[in-house]
Amino acid sequence: MQKSTLLLLLLLISAYAFHLGRKRARDIVLGKVKTLHSLPNYYGYYTALWSLLPALLLLILWLGFETPVINHMVMESLPDGSQALSADIKGLLINDIRNSMNAGGSDTKPELQAAVEFLRLLKIRSGWLLSFLAVALAFVGAYFARSRIHKEHRARNLVENTIMSFLLGSSLIAILTTVGIVLSVLFESIRFFDKIPLTDFLFGLQWSPQIAMRSDQVASSGAFGAVPLFTGTLLISSIALVVAVPIGLMSAIYLAEYASLKFRSVAKPLLEILAGIPTVVYGFFAALTVAPFIRSMGADFGLDVSSESALAAGLVMGIMIIPFVSSLSDDFINAVPQSLRDGAYALGATQSETIRQVVIPAALPGIVGGILLAASRAIGETMIVVMAAGLAANLTANPLEAVTTVTTQIVTLLVGDQEFDSPKTLAAFALGLVLFLATLALNILALHIVRKYREQYE
Amino acid sequence: MRHPVNIPTPASFSREHIQTVGDMFVENARIQCRNVDVFYGEKHAIQDVSLDIGRNEVIALIGPSGCGKSTFLRCLNRMNDTIPGCRISGEIKLDGLDIYANGLDVVPLRAQVGMVFQKPNPFPKSIFENVAYGPRIHGLAANKLELEEIVEKSLRRAGLWDEVKEYLHHPGTGLSGGQQQRLCIARTIAVSPEVILMDEPCSALDPIATAKIEQLIDDLREHYTIAIVTHSMQQAARVSQRTAYFHLGKVIEVGDTALIFTNPRHQLTEDYITGRFG
Repeated sequence: MQKSTLLLLLLLISAYAFHLGRKRARDIVLGKVKTLHSLPNYYGYYTALWSLLPALLLLILWLGFETPVINHMVMESLPDGSQALSADIKGLLINDIRNSMNAGGSDTKPELQAAVEFLRLLKIRSGWLLSFLAVALAFVGAYFARSRIHKEHRARNLVENTIMSFLLGSSLIAILTTVGIVLSVLFESIRFFDKIPLTDFLFGLQWSPQIAMRSDQVASSGAFGAVPLFTGTLLISSIALVVAVPIGLMSAIYLAEYASLKFRSVAKPLLEILAGIPTVVYGFFAALTVAPFIRSMGADFGLDVSSESALAAGLVMGIMIIPFVSSLSDDFINAVPQSLRDGAYALGATQSETIRQVVIPAALPGIVGGILLAASRAIGETMIVVMAAGLAANLTANPLEAVTTVTTQIVTLLVGDQEFDSPKTLAAFALGLVLFLATLALNILALHIVRKYREQYE
Repeated sequence: MRHPVNIPTPASFSREHIQTVGDMFVENARIQCRNVDVFYGEKHAIQDVSLDIGRNEVIALIGPSGCGKSTFLRCLNRMNDTIPGCRISGEIKLDGLDIYANGLDVVPLRAQVGMVFQKPNPFPKSIFENVAYGPRIHGLAANKLELEEIVEKSLRRAGLWDEVKEYLHHPGTGLSGGQQQRLCIARTIAVSPEVILMDEPCSALDPIATAKIEQLIDDLREHYTIAIVTHSMQQAARVSQRTAYFHLGKVIEVGDTALIFTNPRHQLTEDYITGRFG
């Protein structure tokens, strides 16, 4: 039986169990629902959960352990000679057997014929056994739950506790995923730092991760000093913030304080569309429009601007994060109570005095939080930089030169065929770890500031 | 021979009578309102109100919720300008000058007519900066010393100085509700207004804080003209010299507070103050 069919069947059984439990609860009190501890529906849910959850648990466990157990059984069945093989060869062998089975057995090596047949048999048997056990468990669960129902039975509490566990589980998934990502990056980084010392990585001024195939090639050893990447990231993010913070803040002030309702209802969604444009499209814009424009402008002033410049990438990235700054600032400016504005107006303050001296200071922590969130977005941005700022790891503060960023280097390090034991590839994980820690710190700071602000007005 | 002074004579105007009863006008008035109408969009919030507010008097505006007393109060320093869709017609004069005249600047007007709100709304700044804010924006102090003098004088008048003189640079939002409200009053009088409008200034305060504010209002009468909106008739009786009763956007009765509360002439006023309505 297909797993999806089985799942459907289990759902049908639990629906039946729902009906069974509800009916049982009604029958016990002879229709006087008021005397029951919980509403009849809760007894239905209680029975349905008892029928569905154990069967689902079985299904999940079975799917998890099926492959290793079957593999083991197939290996056991092989002739004595193969038992002595090393684990690697055994792995290859079992793969061979599985592939032959999936291919339909047309080009099976004759010596594996028996094993393939055995595997096929085991799989079919395992499938039927699972279906049988799961369906049986579903019914057993349903009737067990039904037998437990009596007048005082606290079905509502049990059902609600179960739902709460689901909610808890869902929130844990997000947390556990984060932990998993951190750990996987962390372990690969540790492998990298085994090969390259941490101090070389953090304080080295040379970045050329290409390791030569042969020792007589030029630049035979890679250099993994990440400082040029950090400065490049810092440079581009700073340019982006210099663009986005004033524009975003001023547009937020206009939208929140001056704009008519009609203008606001049109302009705010339009501004937020900016946030929805794919970053690749921003990349085109940066590489094809802004960068050549800056180059020709620079030429007019007698400056030598490289065709891929930090300035182009930073400008476009700044435009990209305007909506973050303006939308969040707008929210926080709107959250400043009207009573504060009234207080200032009643003292004879003009609108601009009120905004500058009362509203903005009151909203400032929130605005700073918004800016920090935008900054962490800018630091993590990849596509625009790949397309507009180039790959040259120059250690420079000149925005007219090409620079590269941490994220861009991660991409170039991991594009194409890679071996996962060379420092070149592992460097990507170390960079990822640094990036993660930096944005994490920024986000925590931002959230802390935002929360502090909230408390002030509750 | 003893006269039965406490037995009120029956109200002489029936509920259907909608002309204002009593002494709307006083001699040498500070604020004169004539035929004021206020509309919020389609809603006719204030209808044909004519009322004078005299010098150095406290006038209480009472009436059931939604009767327009707060709206009327906010007309007097043009705070309604900030509400979209609000239209005002009629004439309001402050010391003989029309405050709705074309081209009139609301900034000096609001410096002359200060306002205290229902909920204390100190700025998220220090106590000192809260009081100093008004003098700063109007350039009332030539130097730091003068500014400090103004702040101290205002806090003293608001009866808050002794409680906060050690903490002038702590945030104003950290004070108790009653202290915050007195801070707001100090902030208002720091710009030396001539009129102070108070919109239910004690409704968010406990009885002790309320008593302090009421005492303060009585003291302030010496220097200022005060119009206070209140839901508490006891408060109106305690602090005011004149009382105006508002009903559904109209002024029903105006007169000496003592007379209004002992001997209302309009049936609606009597209904309200005896608790039959509202």
